[in-house]
Order: sequence, then C-alpha cells, then structure tokens
Amino acid sequence: MEGFIIALFVCMVLALISKYLSVPAIPFYILAGVILGKAGLGIVSSNEITHFFSEMGLIFLLFFMGLELKLERIIADPSKVLVSGLIGLTVDMGIGFISAYLLGFTLMESFIIGAAFYITSTAIVITSLVENRKLMMRETETIIWLMVFEDMVLIIILALLSSGNQNLILFFAKIALALGFMYVIAHYGKEFLISILDRDDELPILFTFAAVLSTASFALFLGIPETLMVIALGAALATTDPDAFEQHARPFKDVFLVLFFVFFGVTIDFSGNLNWTIIAIVCLLAIFSKLVSGMLIGLTIHGSAMSGVEIWTNTISRGEFSIALAVLYGSPLVGATIATMVIVTSIVGSFAAKYSTWMRRGIVSHSRKRALIHRPHTGR
Amino acid sequence: MALRSLDLPGVGTKYEFETDKGDTVAIFFTKTGGIQMYTLQKGCKTPSAAEMSPVEARRLGNILTGAIIEADQESVEIAFSALADLRITIHTFFVTAAVVGKTIEELQIRAKTGATVIAVCRHDRNIINPPPTFVFEQGDAALVIGESDQIKTFESEIMVK
Repeated sequence: MEGFIIALFVCMVLALISKYLSVPAIPFYILAGVILGKAGLGIVSSNEITHFFSEMGLIFLLFFMGLELKLERIIADPSKVLVSGLIGLTVDMGIGFISAYLLGFTLMESFIIGAAFYITSTAIVITSLVENRKLMMRETETIIWLMVFEDMVLIIILALLSSGNQNLILFFAKIALALGFMYVIAHYGKEFLISILDRDDELPILFTFAAVLSTASFALFLGIPETLMVIALGAALATTDPDAFEQHARPFKDVFLVLFFVFFGVTIDFSGNLNWTIIAIVCLLAIFSKLVSGMLIGLTIHGSAMSGVEIWTNTISRGEFSIALAVLYGSPLVGATIATMVIVTSIVGSFAAKYSTWMRRGIVSHSRKRALIHRPHTGR
Repeated sequence: MALRSLDLPGVGTKYEFETDKGDTVAIFFTKTGGIQMYTLQKGCKTPSAAEMSPVEARRLGNILTGAIIEADQESVEIAFSALADLRITIHTFFVTAAVVGKTIEELQIRAKTGATVIAVCRHDRNIINPPPTFVFEQGDAALVIGESDQIKTFESEIMVK
C-alpha cells in the first residue's frame, strides 16, 4: 500500500511539472512507473489492488471513447473519414507489422506491435492542437477525422483479438444480444436516464460508475470481452446526454487512467533478453511511418506536401490506446517495446507539434532560396 | 457572409465565417471550457489566435454588439427583432450621494423614469429584485433595466452626480 501512495504522489508532482512545461503527461507517468517498479528501484510492485485500479482506468478510457464515437455522423459523410483513414491504416499498420515481423517477433506479436504502432494518441493529439492554437488550420479537420477512424479500427482490432478460439457464431451472437439490450435501454429509458442525470445529488455519478462497472462484469459473465462492451455502452449512452455522462465519468477516468499508466510502467521488465537495437529501430520507424502516411494524406486530401508535414508533426504521438493493447494482449517483450515506443514518440511528437510552424517556415524559405538560385531573373 | 458551424469530435464546436472583404473569423468552443478565436486576413496563410475564458469572451461579445463600455459601468442593449424590434438596455450604475440612504419607493424610480432596478450588488453579493423598501448604501452598484431613453432619464433625474 505504501508503494501505491508513493506512486500517486509522484504522479501528482509529475502532472504539475508536465502542465507547467505544457508537454503531455503520459510518457512521464510511464517513466515514473518504470523507475519505481521492477525495472528500476523496485519500491512499487503490482498486486491485486493495483491491478483492479489499472483495469478501472482501461475500462473508463474505453467508455469515454464510446461516448465520443458518433457513428451517425461518420455514416452521414463517410468520404471525409475513409480516404485519409485507409491511407493511415495501410501505411502505418503495414510498416509496423512487416518491420516487427522482419525484426524477429512472432506473427501474433507483430500484429499487436503493428496495431500499437498505428494508433496515435487521441488525447495527446487533441490537447496539443488546442494548446498550440492550431484549430483553424485546414489540416486540423483531417487530423480529427483520422483519430475518429482510428478509434473505429481499434474496436475492430479488439473484437478480432478477443474472439480468440471461441465459437465465432456464438461469440458474435452474444455480442449482438448485449448490444441490442443496451440500445433498447438507451432508447426506451432515455427520459428516465436524463431525469437521473439532471439531479444534483450523488445519484448521477453513482449511476455512471455503476453502469460502467456492471456492464464490464456482465460481459465477463457472458464470456464476451468487457473492453468492447464498455465502448458499446458509451456509444449507446451517447444517444442520451453524452456531456452529462462525460462530466460524471471524468473524475474516475482521470484518476484511474493515471494509475493505469503508472502500473503499466511498474510491470515493465527491461532485464529479459531485450534487444535495444530492435526497440530503437521500432521507435525510429514509428516516427518515419507517420511521415509517409502524413505526406500521402496531405497530398491526396489537400494537394500539398506542406499539409503532409503538418499532419505528420501532429500525429507522431502514440499513447493510451497503444498501451491498452500492450496490457491486454502483449507479452513482456512486446510490452517493453511498446512502452519505449510510446515514451519516445509522445515526447518527440509533442515537440514536433509545437515547432511545426517553424519547420514549415524553414522549408518554405529554403525552397524559395533554391528557386532563386535556379532562376535568378524570375526572382525580384 | 455565410456562417458555418461544425461539431469536431473530442475538440468542441467550431463557428466560422468569411467577411465580405474576404477575411475569415473562426471561433472554437473547446471541451475544456475555453474559447479560441482565430482571425485570418485575406491572402495570409497563418491565422492569429487568442484564447479566452467564458467571461472574457462575453466581454468581447458586448464590445462587438456595440454596447457602450465605460470603465466599470457598462451597458448592454438587447434587440428582440421578432417583437417589433423591441430594444431593451441594461445598465450598471454606482450609486451617488443623491440616493444613499433612500429607498426605491422614496425615489419614485419607476414613476419618474419608467426604468426598473432589477439587482443591486453589495459587497460582492447580489440582491436580485430589491423590494420597494430597499435602502441604497454607499458603494452599491445598481443594475437598471429599461429602454435607452428611460435609462437616460434615470441617469439625469435619479443618479444625480
């Protein structure tokens, strides 16, 4: 228990520092876990209690993702999302999967690494867009829809990975049944749900917590993945009053998610037969592949390589979803690789996003100079 | 001038419009509770941005709607175009020596001016809808509502400097 308190305290200090420097806190939380845990000082160890808290963090993260998922809007105008989304998916997941496989990971491990490699951190990307005042850029909309597409791919990946070796028909029948049940409640119980959320006593927050937890345990009971079910719960409840649910679930998410990151760091073991060259290659490729996909998206959607650079600098950071995949399905080796990748890309990504305007200006003035040298008379 | 509004998942709501002269103004209400305003001059590539708190944004809104802002006494005019262009002005006044110690009834505010005192701010506390027996004290700020002529009368007849 002392370890737990120490971890919480360290996180609070780190959160303060990261907010002061306005860089994302996620890599710091993981690093804190690594330093305090198995791989470092060994002060904090994971046990049943910390495991429970981490699980809560993951469940509330996915519930939030479900609340933000606005399926009807994507269906209304799919072309926006599809083109850029598919480019990102094939390029990033392709590079991640193939390079992991060539570097000696098994087929399954490569798939997990590929998926973690592909999915950018919605939290870091959106916060940095707001903080760097980039909301008006025309690339911003593309980036945001890219995030939405990635969320949907994540759901499919989770479904594929968790179906495992079960009877597929029975598995999907159970999922369909649970989904139907949730939508019926959200649809017919809408008035009742809203009347509960409108109260100003402890009921709304209690209800939100209970709904998320009971959905997760109900899913376990049915033998279907709780990860998918909490996302579905979020999406179903989003049809009632998503803002109220976000407001009531936020405190749980904020606290538990931090613990989730820290205790992910704690369980990381760097002592095994780790090959740092391989990890370094994965990290470099993770930055490089987003340049390729960003360029392609910039050229297809905006017809400009400069837009590609802007998309690249804003989508380098991997974060919460990559870690979720590592926690759910990764071996220790995969976990250590993904942890390092998240730490490196999120730090590089946050600086790239901050200084992208300078970078663009640098490129533009450089090419202008070159143009002047080539055609000295057409210049001024 | 075409106003475009858009809901950006995870970010918030965006309002954007282009002026007749070709400049673009965009406002974002972010989920974190802040308001960001961007202006992009015609022919320019990079917009300039300002981030505001809701209170600051409301202040800016008051300025843009053309309400008069005097140092601490401000007034806001609201036009209800659906109601035969009804225009209502709300004005804040710091009480002057002429009214200190008197009640609203004694001053015959409504009879003389037609305006109504709807709130008084005293020591950072708000007294909404003060009764006729309400006594003004030194340092009070009164919020008065009425048509702009009534507000002018109020200023010249009641809040005599």
